[in-house]
Amino acid sequence: MVSTAEIDGQKPKHRPIIRIGIFIIAHSFLVSVVCCTAGVLALLLLPVLAKKTYVSENALMPGSATPMLSDQDVSGATRFMNELTSPKLKSWNMGIELPRLIALHMSNLGGEVNYHKFQTQPNNFHPLYFFTSPDAEANLVNKTCQSYATNTIGIIRAPRGDGKEAIVLVTPYNPVNLTQSEVLSLGIAYSVFSLLTQVSWLAKDIIWLAADSQYGQYNSVAAWLRDYHTPSFGGHGKLHADNCRGASGMHGSKLDMFVETEVSDTFRRAGTMAAAFVIKVANTGEEGEQDSLKIYAEASNGQMPNLDLINVVSYLAVHGQGLRVKVEKLVSLLDSKWLNFIGEMLESVGKIARSLNPQWKFGIPVQEYVEGSATLVSSLYNQAIGVPTGSHGAFRDYQVDAITLEISPKLSSSNKARQTEFLFRGGRLIEGVVRSVNNLLEKFHQSFFLYLLTSSNKFISVGVYMIAFLLLVAPLPVVAASLFSNATSTNPNSQKHTSSSSEPFQSWRWLYPTKTIFLVHLWGAIVSLLPYFIYQIPECQPTSRLLIWASLSIFILAVLRSFFGSSTHLQEWVLLKSVTVSSLFIGLCLMSVINFATAEIGALILVPMCLMIKPWKIAGKAHSAFNLLLLTVGFPGAAFFVVKGAFGVQNGSGLVEFWYWVESLWAWNSATYIYICMVHLPCWVLCICILLHCC
Amino acid sequence: MMNRKRDNFFSRFILTIITVITVSLSCSFVHFSHAASSDSSSVHTNNWAVLVCTSRFWFNYRHMANTLSLYRTVKRLGIPDERIILMLADDMACNARNKYPAQVFNNENHRLNLYGDNVEVDYRGYEVTVENFLRVLTGRHENAVPRSKRLLSDEGSHILLYMTGHGGDEFLKFQDADELQSHDLADAVKQMKEKRRFKELLIMVDTCQAATLFSQLHSPGVLAIGSSMKGENSYSHHLDSDVGVSVVDRFTFYTLAFFERLNMYDNASLSSLFSSYNPNLLLSTAYYRTDLYQQQMEKVPVTNFFGSVMETIHTGSAYRGVSGKDSNRAKFEVSSDQSYDRDAKSITTSSDPEKQVDHPGIKAVKSGTCPHADLWNMIVEKVQRIKDVDSIVNYGFVGLLTLVAVSTWHSS
Repeated sequence: MVSTAEIDGQKPKHRPIIRIGIFIIAHSFLVSVVCCTAGVLALLLLPVLAKKTYVSENALMPGSATPMLSDQDVSGATRFMNELTSPKLKSWNMGIELPRLIALHMSNLGGEVNYHKFQTQPNNFHPLYFFTSPDAEANLVNKTCQSYATNTIGIIRAPRGDGKEAIVLVTPYNPVNLTQSEVLSLGIAYSVFSLLTQVSWLAKDIIWLAADSQYGQYNSVAAWLRDYHTPSFGGHGKLHADNCRGASGMHGSKLDMFVETEVSDTFRRAGTMAAAFVIKVANTGEEGEQDSLKIYAEASNGQMPNLDLINVVSYLAVHGQGLRVKVEKLVSLLDSKWLNFIGEMLESVGKIARSLNPQWKFGIPVQEYVEGSATLVSSLYNQAIGVPTGSHGAFRDYQVDAITLEISPKLSSSNKARQTEFLFRGGRLIEGVVRSVNNLLEKFHQSFFLYLLTSSNKFISVGVYMIAFLLLVAPLPVVAASLFSNATSTNPNSQKHTSSSSEPFQSWRWLYPTKTIFLVHLWGAIVSLLPYFIYQIPECQPTSRLLIWASLSIFILAVLRSFFGSSTHLQEWVLLKSVTVSSLFIGLCLMSVINFATAEIGALILVPMCLMIKPWKIAGKAHSAFNLLLLTVGFPGAAFFVVKGAFGVQNGSGLVEFWYWVESLWAWNSATYIYICMVHLPCWVLCICILLHCC
Repeated sequence: MMNRKRDNFFSRFILTIITVITVSLSCSFVHFSHAASSDSSSVHTNNWAVLVCTSRFWFNYRHMANTLSLYRTVKRLGIPDERIILMLADDMACNARNKYPAQVFNNENHRLNLYGDNVEVDYRGYEVTVENFLRVLTGRHENAVPRSKRLLSDEGSHILLYMTGHGGDEFLKFQDADELQSHDLADAVKQMKEKRRFKELLIMVDTCQAATLFSQLHSPGVLAIGSSMKGENSYSHHLDSDVGVSVVDRFTFYTLAFFERLNMYDNASLSSLFSSYNPNLLLSTAYYRTDLYQQQMEKVPVTNFFGSVMETIHTGSAYRGVSGKDSNRAKFEVSSDQSYDRDAKSITTSSDPEKQVDHPGIKAVKSGTCPHADLWNMIVEKVQRIKDVDSIVNYGFVGLLTLVAVSTWHSS
């Protein structure tokens, strides 16, 4: 009581900011309700707040030059495609002959050609190399000759350029099973390559990488990039290839004779990469009048290429070639009733606002809102997972801006004239983009790197989408502070129970729950490392691996609990919650820097759970039931299934799918995995602890 | 008493001798000293042009094309290369992105290669800085800078200063790094004026908000044309889809269109140039600042700045035309005479100052010829009479010697 009287006496001396702080902490419940609601509302409003994209870099000048792609280039491409699909070739060993044929054509056009043989790498989990680049583990793998694949690289040197920069075109194809769409994408690249060997305006070298994707599209590009960026001295890289020469029979064929003179096995390089474009042609034709273009941009850990790159491509596709540009969206959301309802609400609010003041223009039509949200959700999901959406992701690991252009021809595309027109379209689009990037003087830097797309020409910048996240996490420190002050103010009552603790150490009581929380987080770290040991068990099914993982985790948790279980006090749950909430706040804020989308989704799940949680015995029945619901949803695995179920992306069954999903997170070095194990899971366990706390 | 009387006599005698000497000499350089001191009456001696492209990078191709077009125009209209300071911040002709290597066009028809033979670029690339620009204007160069890179104008020079690049409110960007502010420009012009580096100066600027660049100018004899008013942008004229960039700015395009109709001997006036700008075609409002310029726009031919056409001088006899260099030499001769007798000079300058200011002007108006011609005639007469002067000088020396002798004798 004396201390409170002293505080009262000091109160007039407080500065206003402290008084505001005290006021907010005193009304923490109201603050958290208001902030969380506002955070969710802000998230729903994001499609409305999206801005039109614009080309920010002056040097790009997309579309200022007329396309020069001629009939000659396209007819050359047609001949090339016919050769690729000729039955004569089919009889031979495709895996060997196709790279050879492509190399022959590249060098006939006048490019410098070389092969890049590489070995696919199994998706092993190496926790020690988690954040390092994959080449650290490359040396560990024993090279066997069976799994070699061959990329074919053609390079055009800029006639008057300085040779310090390059633009990369990638066409993934599977030489073992070549599909018509891959042939088309190779044809487009061929036509562009054929044009670019003749033009005089190149300032950057052009690299055409025909990536052998029989062991995965990403792997081939990543392997090539790794070798491109790690120069090997003394022909070390060549040695590996030579070892396998006899086994693979690369040089045994007759075609070899033609190419041997021009093609060397030395790894050819151009300058640093300014940008990279992965050219693909969709398998299935789109219904509708136009050809369409789909842009994939997400790289690992939610990194995006510079927005200017997407702007240039979509500008040229729409205004230059009349293509319909699309970004990936969650189709199942388009019919959802609640989203339509929110859209209608926002539209009517916008109408009312406009009737009040014609200059307020924030309402958008329902259709646009729903499509924007569907794209936004897909964009958020892809960034949150941290797995690249295509082989362009490999470039981002080397800070190269890259996107995948997936061109899909309209359905009625079988006749020859139609194919020529398609080649023209695709070729001219790529040519325009290359010419625009060729004008670039520096790395892409003018436009945004942190953004979410709501359509191909609308984006939300970091300054806008951070608001939703900040509103969601803002109550956490407030609630933590209010709980802590409650715990210390109720201290005199608990004095009777804990008579042993002396007066000066009262303010350090939060160290006990902190110990608990530290142990739980330690457990989280151990859980995240367990898969490495599980992988050491040979010949194991995914389901059993998952079960081993789960049971081991629970066992370790039980062991750890024996350390901290004894020291729980009756009133400790308030302090425990306070420290849990503050550790969650730190975890979420750290994660928002690494991968915003993960932090946003995590905050959506965890913040209500952590704020609502109360011991079973204190809370009412309804409250406890709600807590239980939140806890079930909040479990990482459950969250995965709920999300999958809600958005209808079902492909595979239950546990196996989950295991593969986690496996993919390891394979892509996704920070989301770290987040789930070190922030989400401990937090969830602590909430369970609080719920089961005996008061 | 006797001594003092004698002294008086001697001093008077000497004084008269000296006046006789000096009066005869003085008449010869009275007019020259006047010509040197007064600006308004200095004669148009030569034409200079300073053409500046301030921006680099491929996408600013049009600025280099603008400047090279102006370069070609002023050369065609008669300013020789040695009197053109051409500053180009980047080399578009040899840019790897240029589809036509070593060629620069200002029109998509590609009829005219601006970067043909005989293009002398004085400052190129990273030499084009605000510092170098101000050094060129004010003439404060380091010793090592060659004459071809200097603006060696004099008090009778007409200078055309053309600048193009990216600008804004009261500044013009140089090289994407630093900028020239309107204060800097006004200060440089003021220094030029004080150093008598020009008689008339036409500043032509093609940039966004060009008019704001002239707001600080105070020096008389300066005329300014800007492509746009404050708050307006200057736009490019058209895009060459073959080269892939915009090749010329609107203001410069219509300026060139005006000059393409002219040849060296046309009498088109500045006002006709000013009125040729159509705001609807420019998409901006061309701005003229004429308050510092005394003469009437209607009477000043554009070739005063854009060409090198001198006013024709009628002289009495053949092959006696005067040029700037000659008059300088004449002045030097006389001033060497002048140094003969300091006393004489001091007396003459005090004797008839009013005459010096008024006379030549009146004379020039009356005779209808250049005042230089009169001066020249005067010098010629003096030179013819120089034998008499010699004897007078000799007498003067004798007088001086006697004076010295008498005074030493007197003092002893």
